[in-house]
Formats: sequence, structure tokens, C-alpha cells
Amino acid sequence: MPAPAVRVDRLEKTFVVPEREAGLRAAVRSLVRRTHREVRAVDAISFDVAPGEVVGFLGPNGAGKTTTLKMLSGLLHPTGGEALVLGHVPSRRERDFLRRITLVMGNRNQLQWDLPALDSYELNRAIYRLPRPDFLRLRDELIELLDVGDLVRKPVRNLSLGERMKVEVVGSLLHRPQVLFLDEPTIGLDVTMQKRIRSFVAAYNRRYEATVLLTSHYMADVEALCRRVVVIHHGRILFDGPLARLGDQFEPFKTLTVELDDLGVDLGRYGDVLERDGTRVKLRVPKAETAQVTARLLAEHELADLTVEDPPIEDVIELVFAQERPA
Amino acid sequence: MTTEAGRLRSYADYYATRARTQIQANFQYRVATYMWLVGMLAEPIVYLVVWTTIAEQQGGAVQGITRGQFAAYYIVWTLVRNMNIVFTPYGWEWRIREGQLSAALLRPLHPLHEDIAGFAGWKVVTIVLWLPIAAALWVAFDPELDPTLLEVAVFGVAIWGAYLIRTMFLSALGMVTFWTTRVSALFELVVALELLLSGRLVPLPLMPDWAERIADVLPFKWTFYFPIDALVGDLSRRELLGGLGMQLFWIVVLTALFYVVWRFAVRRYSAVGN
Amino acid sequence: MAVGTALVVLALVYSHTDELNGWVQSELLVVMGIQILLGGVIRTTIQPNMQRLMEEVRDGKLDFALTKPEDSQLLVSVRDVRIWRAVDVFSGGAVLAYGVAGLERGVGVGDALLFAALLALGAVTIYCFWLVIATLAFWIVNVWEILELFEGIYQTGRWPVSIYPAWLRFGVTFLVPIAFAITVPAEAVTSRLEWPTAALAVGFTVALFGFARWWWGFGLRHYSGASA
Repeated sequence: MPAPAVRVDRLEKTFVVPEREAGLRAAVRSLVRRTHREVRAVDAISFDVAPGEVVGFLGPNGAGKTTTLKMLSGLLHPTGGEALVLGHVPSRRERDFLRRITLVMGNRNQLQWDLPALDSYELNRAIYRLPRPDFLRLRDELIELLDVGDLVRKPVRNLSLGERMKVEVVGSLLHRPQVLFLDEPTIGLDVTMQKRIRSFVAAYNRRYEATVLLTSHYMADVEALCRRVVVIHHGRILFDGPLARLGDQFEPFKTLTVELDDLGVDLGRYGDVLERDGTRVKLRVPKAETAQVTARLLAEHELADLTVEDPPIEDVIELVFAQERPA
Repeated sequence: MTTEAGRLRSYADYYATRARTQIQANFQYRVATYMWLVGMLAEPIVYLVVWTTIAEQQGGAVQGITRGQFAAYYIVWTLVRNMNIVFTPYGWEWRIREGQLSAALLRPLHPLHEDIAGFAGWKVVTIVLWLPIAAALWVAFDPELDPTLLEVAVFGVAIWGAYLIRTMFLSALGMVTFWTTRVSALFELVVALELLLSGRLVPLPLMPDWAERIADVLPFKWTFYFPIDALVGDLSRRELLGGLGMQLFWIVVLTALFYVVWRFAVRRYSAVGN
Repeated sequence: MAVGTALVVLALVYSHTDELNGWVQSELLVVMGIQILLGGVIRTTIQPNMQRLMEEVRDGKLDFALTKPEDSQLLVSVRDVRIWRAVDVFSGGAVLAYGVAGLERGVGVGDALLFAALLALGAVTIYCFWLVIATLAFWIVNVWEILELFEGIYQTGRWPVSIYPAWLRFGVTFLVPIAFAITVPAEAVTSRLEWPTAALAVGFTVALFGFARWWWGFGLRHYSGASA
């Protein structure tokens, strides 16, 4: 069995935040004695990622996803536990380690503003000490994969936001990192661009067998790319497993879409009514009772149509996150 | 995996690439740069006129410095002034705030190299654009300038030595921004001190004795007065080479200081995040 | 801080000489005080208004000015006041007072009134200069880069313009009218003002004002599309 690309063992990150209360008395008090509050952003999480795997980290803002990625890329020092990425301790920020990873976080301007992206790519070549023929080959492959051939010759300042994002992504992959940390890669982009980025990441993973850790609060990102999903909330892992089973674990419900023949029928006794649109009703029914309810509906009503579906993952996640933090 | 020679070669490769990139980028703004260079001329021209006036009033020289030498001093001043413009603590503040520091920490190259190489490229553009200005000033103010080959060579090295001293000094100072957002007070104080003790206002021999003594133990003299004096003044061979030695001394000391503080700074940054 | 540096330079200069082109130290303090004070006035009122004007021209937001072109000049000139920049007015005033206190020959009432009048005219001259340049914004996009030069050139006003070589003296008198704004009032206070100079200053200011007003109208008509 090959060694995991990423090994995380009871990783912890606690921030010390100065306590700031409102009011004059509190302000005066804080002059004399600073009170602090500990915020546990990441609470002893453990997981392994095999080489070549694509894992999605799902969670609301403040869940600890970005903090985890920052610890795995060496930007933040953990306050407890251990992490190993490709055999390196990230916080040591060894050169060999930095050359094999990349962290892509939202709108970062790494490229020279006044020059074409191609010139900035030259800089990356020099920084990462890439042999020229390999560099050229990978560069051209990436340009082709993202279809930015005519964009890389224009000064970066002349590109739109989406175009800039694409050429920046090429820049962050020129050193052929083996581990990609992608933090909210599609945030703020339009639907076409989102799809583009997703298919690109999938292609990169396939072609170069890179390990991808991706955080998002868009279910679509995770559904498109990841077979394995880790749900994080309040710094803890709530779920770690195949995407398909996410629904099973958290919400054993099914959605029934019923098309009735006439209006005015109340289906409330069969399950929770989610939606009502004329003659079309959406019902939420516990999974165990699905067969029963379906049979009764068919027997007791005139139906034009009936479909049974898994609830959209968004709803599942919403319910998960709505859980209050255990005391 | 890589040999020492290979590592040095890749650093050289990076410096050349980065400097070239900066030259390309800055060259696009040559008109704006010219305006800016011309705007900066007012300060030295005023000093030049004032001191040459005094020199003429007093029969040709002030404390041994002739009218022509004053003119030469302040003309060379315009180049040295530009060589002294480097990445400031405000830049570090911006870098941290905008997330650029995180990006830099993810790369296997210390951000200082990016600063030094990038600004060096800008300096090359500045030097080239400055030459016509120097010629115009020469015609206008008739300086007394007749340097030996050694003096020119030492000057050529000294301006880059000055650049490095000031870079390391301000980078070390910039580390303060990791702990506080209010670096401006400290920075302004340092700049004021520098103004007085570097030779930027007047040639150092014209300062009162006690000021000259203080200036001797600080690095500022070697960023400003020494390069100008090397070219304009009459330094002996030993003084010229000794001056370069002092520049090297300060570069080493300030670089060491920077690295020590840098480690603490990064540790703090990695503890509290951004 | 800049004031501190200027005073240090002044002290250095006078540690090596007693007079600069006929001006003694306290007289130089008068010049410096006027320069700083006037600089404060520029930064409080003239500069913010003109900068805002240039921005509005660039962004095409000047339509309100088209209705009453004569009054529009007044409007765009006095809208903004940056009171906190008035610090320089006080420090300049302090330097000026200190210089006046040290003058050998005291300042008579006549001289004082003349000084005040010439200083006011000087402020008007600078204002007109800024307005002329700002009006160029109707044709040239990056006019404020030119105005950044002003900051540097204004430094020459810290010393009496008689020390400058002829070409520079001409430049800072007629091209960037600093001499009239600073040196002339200073000459009034230090009792060396001659009538031809004063007359020239007044005449120049009046002429420049007229030209600036016409130029503003010209630019505004061009902006509105009417043929000039």
C-alpha cells in the first residue's frame, strides 16, 4: 500500500483572541488586564488522503476548512497534533516541500500586472528551478487545457476577472505540484467559468495523478469532482466517506414529487409538504416508509405522475450545519 | 540533488529573469517616470543654488568645497537619491494586508530576493532615464568633476552598495509590521534621522562636528555621502577601498539583523494567521 | 517634519555665512514662513478643489457647471475645504512671526498692510495657476501628473528667487508664479520692495486672473460641445 500523500493526526489549531466587550467599563478594564478567549478553529481532526485522490471539504464559513488547508500548506503552525504532506512536515516549509505543492486561494494576484502572463510564467520557471524543456511542455499543456492561448499574450491588467483567474491557475501549476490545495476555487465566478475550472481540475488530476484537496461551500464543486467528501463544522469532522453515502448518514429521507389530477387535496398526512405548485406537490418522506407511502398514494388518489428522488445534497448539508454545537 | 554551483546559477538565473521582467514593466511607464524624476530635481537644485551662492560670496569655497564641487555634489546627488529608493516598511504592511505575503511564503524563494531583484531592475531603468537629465544639469550648472578611473569604478560599485544597505535596513525595519500596524511613526523618525546624517542635506563636512561623529557610526553616511564623495571628492585609494569595505560591513550586519528578526516575524505570522 | 528639516538647513546655511545674497537669517525665516503658510492655504483650499475638478472632468460629472459658466468658476473653486491641512498655516505663521521678531528694522503699519495685500494677491496668483492647469483636463487626461511637479517646484519658493540663475528665476516667476506669491510679499515685510516689482506683481496677477477666467470659460464650452 503506498504511503498516504497527506496524513493528518489529531490536528488542532487554537487561536487566542483578545476579548473585546462593549461599554466604557469594559474598555477601561481591558487597559489594565487583557482578557483572552480561545477559539478552537480546528479541533483534533484526523484523516488520510491517498496519492491521486480528490477529496472535497465541505462546510460553512468558519468551519475550519481554510485553516486546515493553511496548516497543510505550511502557512499556519498547528497548536496540536501532526500533519505530514508527502512525507514533509508542512510548518518547516522546506524548499523541496514547497516545490511539490500549491495552494490556490481565491483572487490572488501573483502575476505581473503590466506584462503578459507568459512573462510571469518565466519568473515561475526561475523560482522553481524548472528545466526549460519540461517547463515549456507543461506550460503549453496547461494553456491548452484551460484554453487561454490568446489570453497569455495580453498584459494581465487587460484581462477580465474570469480570464485573470484562468491564467493565474496556469501559473500556480507550472511546477507540476503533486498536491493541490484549492480553497474555494470557484467562488465569485459565473457558471460557465465554474464548470471550466471543475473540468480542468479533474483533467489535471487524471493526467498528472495529483492529489487534490478542495474546499468549497458549493455542493456542485464537490459533486463534480470528488468521490470522497469530508464534512467539517465547528472544527470537527462530521462525515468522511463516499459522497453517495452522505445522504444516507444524515438524512434518511426521500423526496416524492406527485402530480395530482385535481387540486385541493391535502397530502399532509403522508409526510412533510415541501412545495406546492398547482397540482404538483413535493413531499418529504422518511426513507423507511417510502414504499408504504407510495403504495397508499397510488391506491387512494388519482395520480398523473409520481417520482421518488434522493433529496438534493444542499438540503442535507443545510440540516447538518443547522445542528447546534454540542455543549 | 543540486550542487552549490548549480544553486548559485539558479539564483543568478532568477535575478536576471526578475530584473528583466521589471525593466520591461517599468519601461512602459517611462513618461510618468520622467515626470517624477524631474519633480525630484527641485530639492537638489535648491541646495545647489544656495550653497554655490554662499561659496561665491565667500570667495569661491565654503570650508574647502568650491562652487564647482558643490554643483558636482548635488548633480551626482540626483542619481544617488534614486538608488536609495527601495522597498519600504509600508510595502511590508501592504504585503501582509493584501495576502501577498502568504503567497510569497508558499514559494520556495525568500521574498527578499524578489524585492532586491525587482528594484534592481527598476534602478537600471532609472539610471538610463537619468542620463539625459544629468547632461542637462551639467550644462546648466557647470560642475567641477574630473574623476579618475578608479573613482568611477568605486562609484559604480558604491551606488549598488548603497542600494543594498538601504534595502536591508528598511527590510529589517519592515519586520515591525508583523507586530503592529503603526509603523509610520517609527519610520518617519528614522527617515528624519537619515535626512540629517546621510549627507542628503549638505556634504557631511559642513555639519557640526558632533553630528559628523554620530554620522560616522551609523550606516546612513555609506548610503549617500560616501558614493557621492567617491566620485566628486578627492579620496585616496585607501579611503576609496576602505569605504567599500565599510559598505560591505554594513550590508553584512544589517542582513544578519534582518534574518534574525525575520525568523521571529514568520513564527508570529504562522501563529496568528492573517 | 518638513518644517523641521527646512529649519535645520537654514541653521546650517547660517552657520557658514551671515547673509545669503543680502538676506540675513531672520529675513530668510520670513520667506520660509510665508512659503509654509501659503503651502497650508494651497493644501486646505486650492489643491482639493482643483483635484476634484480634474476628477470630475475625467469622469464627465461636470454638467452642473454648464448652466451658469460664470458662477461655475466660483463654485468649483470653493467647494472643498480640508481643514486639517491648516496645520501648515499655523506653523508657517509661527516661523513668520519668529522671523519678523528678529528683523533689524521693525515692520511698519504700511509695510504690514502692503504685505497682507501682496500675500492675498499671491494666493490668488497660485489659484489662477492651478485653475489654468486644471482646465487642461478638458483636453489632456493625465493632467494631475503635471500637478505633482508643482509640489517639487514649490520647494524653490523657500528661498528668495534672487539667488537662482536667470533661467530658473524666469521659470518660477512667470511659468509657475511662485516668486510673486512668496518673494514679493517677503520683500514687503523686509523693506526691500521696489515699486516696479510691486506693480509688476499686481499687474501680473490681474492679467493672470483675467486669462484664467476666460480660459475656464473656453474649456467649459469645449466640454459642452459648443464650438469655441
